[in-house]
Amino acid sequence: MTATLVSPSSTKLPPSNHEFAEIIHRLEAGGAMLPDTPENLMQIIGLYKAYAVPMDFYWRDLLYIAEQVFLNPLPFFKYFISQEYLDRQNHYAGDQADLRVWRGTGSAHPELLEFMQKGELKSKLPRLLHHWYHDRINMEFAEECMRAMLWHGRDMGMGQFDAYLDSEEYRQNADRAIKAYFKGNPVMMAMYKAFPDMFLEQVRQMSYYSNLGLFWEVMAPVFFEMSDLYDEGKIASVPDAMNFLVNGIFAIAGRPIYHHVYINGECYEIIPKSKGFMWLYEAALPYVEAVFYRTSPFRGTKSYNAQAGQVPAEQKDFHYGVLYADKFPVGTAGIPPTLLAQDMLHFLPPYLVEYYQQHCRGEDDMLVQLAVSFQRSMYCVTSAVIQALRTALLYPLDDPNPEHLMANRKFFEAQLDRFKRPEARLRDIQTPDYR
Amino acid sequence: MLSVLIWLPIVGAAVLGFLPASVPAKTVRNGALAISGVVLLWTIWLFTQFNLSDSGFQFSEYLPWIETLGLNYELAMDGLALVLVGLNSFLTWIALLSSSETTDRPRLFYSMILLVSGGVAGAFLAQNLLLFFLFYELELVPFYLLISIWGGAKRGYAAIKFLIYTAISGALILAGFLGLVWLSGAKDFSYHSGMGQALPLELQLGLLVVLLIGFGIKIPLVPFHTWLPDTYVEASAPITILLGGILAKLGAYGVFRFGLGIFPEAWSKLAPALAIWAAVSILYGAMAAIAQKDIKRMVAYSSIGHMGYILLGAAALTPLALVGSISQMVAHGIILAILFHLVGVIEQKVGSRELDVLNGLLNPIRGLASISSLLILGAMASAGIPGLAGFVAEFLIFQGSYSVFPIPTLVGVVGTGLTAVYFVILLNRTCFGRLNTKTAYYPRVLFEERLPALILAGVIFFLGIQPSWLVKWSEATSTAMVAAVPTLDRVAIAPTSLTNAEVATPLAIED
Repeated sequence: MTATLVSPSSTKLPPSNHEFAEIIHRLEAGGAMLPDTPENLMQIIGLYKAYAVPMDFYWRDLLYIAEQVFLNPLPFFKYFISQEYLDRQNHYAGDQADLRVWRGTGSAHPELLEFMQKGELKSKLPRLLHHWYHDRINMEFAEECMRAMLWHGRDMGMGQFDAYLDSEEYRQNADRAIKAYFKGNPVMMAMYKAFPDMFLEQVRQMSYYSNLGLFWEVMAPVFFEMSDLYDEGKIASVPDAMNFLVNGIFAIAGRPIYHHVYINGECYEIIPKSKGFMWLYEAALPYVEAVFYRTSPFRGTKSYNAQAGQVPAEQKDFHYGVLYADKFPVGTAGIPPTLLAQDMLHFLPPYLVEYYQQHCRGEDDMLVQLAVSFQRSMYCVTSAVIQALRTALLYPLDDPNPEHLMANRKFFEAQLDRFKRPEARLRDIQTPDYR
Repeated sequence: MLSVLIWLPIVGAAVLGFLPASVPAKTVRNGALAISGVVLLWTIWLFTQFNLSDSGFQFSEYLPWIETLGLNYELAMDGLALVLVGLNSFLTWIALLSSSETTDRPRLFYSMILLVSGGVAGAFLAQNLLLFFLFYELELVPFYLLISIWGGAKRGYAAIKFLIYTAISGALILAGFLGLVWLSGAKDFSYHSGMGQALPLELQLGLLVVLLIGFGIKIPLVPFHTWLPDTYVEASAPITILLGGILAKLGAYGVFRFGLGIFPEAWSKLAPALAIWAAVSILYGAMAAIAQKDIKRMVAYSSIGHMGYILLGAAALTPLALVGSISQMVAHGIILAILFHLVGVIEQKVGSRELDVLNGLLNPIRGLASISSLLILGAMASAGIPGLAGFVAEFLIFQGSYSVFPIPTLVGVVGTGLTAVYFVILLNRTCFGRLNTKTAYYPRVLFEERLPALILAGVIFFLGIQPSWLVKWSEATSTAMVAAVPTLDRVAIAPTSLTNAEVATPLAIED
């Protein structure tokens, strides 16, 4: 799939005057926001692999929480996923896949299972001790992403999913599930009577657990497959990687997004598949907007003073996502990016470990180095999303009509305007010195 | 016994200096550390042998030398000399530990440091004025070389400035000693406490002022301090530790031993002026520190302020304040050492000492988290936070001097508040905030670089929660020194006439 999107547009249009003109020309030529260098490719693919293993746990546990734990008022063991969910076959990997994106197994990844047994302590302690020692996959990051989607969902106004959470139909579905879940529990039933909206809001959050779980169920095999293709030499450049993602996005776009809850063996369809919510519009695009761009100021990285105007009044002006984040505070206890970096650290491919050892403080600051690589890899994913949107909404890159090409350029320029903010890392990732 | 403290480092310096050039720097450093370590152990042993209840001089050594000049080899130590010798041995070892393993011209560097250590020990122990002067001058040349060869960009300027000031200081002190001996008609230069008492008061005052200016340059006291910021800033970290930790104390020691010790009566007359001078130094040091943009210069100015407390305690002339002053010499030496070491590490790693450049060093992975944490501890100790060594000394000084000089004491209390102000500025800019992702690719801090600060932090903590280990050594001596000051109804009491009961309740003598 090399160079499928290369375009001669640069000869038909005058050079862009945009601050990121060079990057816009690269996008017009079918490239990514991330420069195409072997070093960048190695970093992003290595990180996809390191991300995919914990992600294989994230999606399973998110669905476990959404479908099984549900409204448990004391969910102490929500991260103690059941064997059923570890064995659950991914719809995009393994022999039983609907669409086999990854050629590997459909149940939990072997490296994940091994880590869950022994942890980084490499000893078979009781699971609870591993958990308390934080020697585990840290679901806190996944939940932070889910909350970002929940919190920004209404404001982003994307797709139909979030609007549906406010509908009467949803309210009735949720009500049925809540009553079934707390059947025979007069205390909780009384609470529900007293504070119905609080319970409804919890169910909405559960729906987002499900949404994100279903989104990541797709992404994990995509990343695994990319890593395998890179190892086989079939992905040889950053545009190759980006194009694989673009093709993947279109192949999977129609996957249904739903929310089912299992109470006493019975399935309650809070958001039925028949609503026709699609993966691309109801999960992927809101996810990119909420998590890559917006999120919220993570606790611990900086104290924001709202009175001093350091927090924007409008949610749409939030820019704390991975594309903007300062990765140097990674390592600070308790902040979700640290927990994600810690998760990925356990599954780095050997070539990246070796690479990090040669730079900066080697072993000592690997957490920050991989977080910066992760940022690079997410710029590649965002590039894929931008190219996919351009494919869906506008014109091919090799369109003979200069007006169409100009429309494409306007689109790219509008996208890159979002990176003019001083904290955006787009400028940094253009050089290998940012690590 | 005492000679070991002087001659072991000096002989060691000679041996290291004449090692073949092929010996690697690390070996020379280890050799210097070993020699200094033996001296430190010897000092600890002396501490165990020291009789706490004896306020007089102990471990005396006497060897006739040039009797026609009145110059004899006379050594002895009392509580004052003991703690300063202890500080000297300890900080020399720390300074060596703080030095880089790849220092240029290591043989000269380490032998000069050992020479300084031996010379300073000699000055603390000398019981002959001329012998003191010889040792006092002995450290001049090594320090000049240490600053001018291994210093920063303006090291030549700083070293010459240091040399000129210290030479003038030496000349004044020599003039004071000669005047004392000639005018009093003494046979030799042997030191006796209260030896200037026989002179008319005007002459006493004159000689005391000469000595005060001489030693005041060394401490330094405002307005003789202008050599200090340049010298401290340009010297490398281990040399700054020696300069601020030990050499400044030599000036303070001179004031105690030869000012207060020889002219107690004149001292008590000058005391109110000295208290005001101390208060001015304290305020000036703190205000100047607040205005600095360079963290090393900030710490250097803080030193001027903190040396003012020592003079304040000495001026108050109560046993409590005097014990506080002597304790402050130790506490200040240790705290200054940790601060200068840490500032040195920061400069080496980050490449800057500018407040406007430094930021976010507490960052756990990419910053200098351990160094920043220790810097916070050092700053807290310097600002006199209870539980740390600095509090003990300052509290004793204030407690002892308030009844005598309430206004200068209150100014001193304000000075500690200002200390907190500039350290908060320093810590806020240096340690907190965000690292700049464009520039913050600092090398990691090695354990060896942390070690001196960890040891110093341990001592600061220990002396803070166990203050008797800081004050008990000098209690008898300082009580005797105060007792030697003639009051309205009492003329000099020989220090040896004090009983243990009086020593145990030093405050009883106050009135």
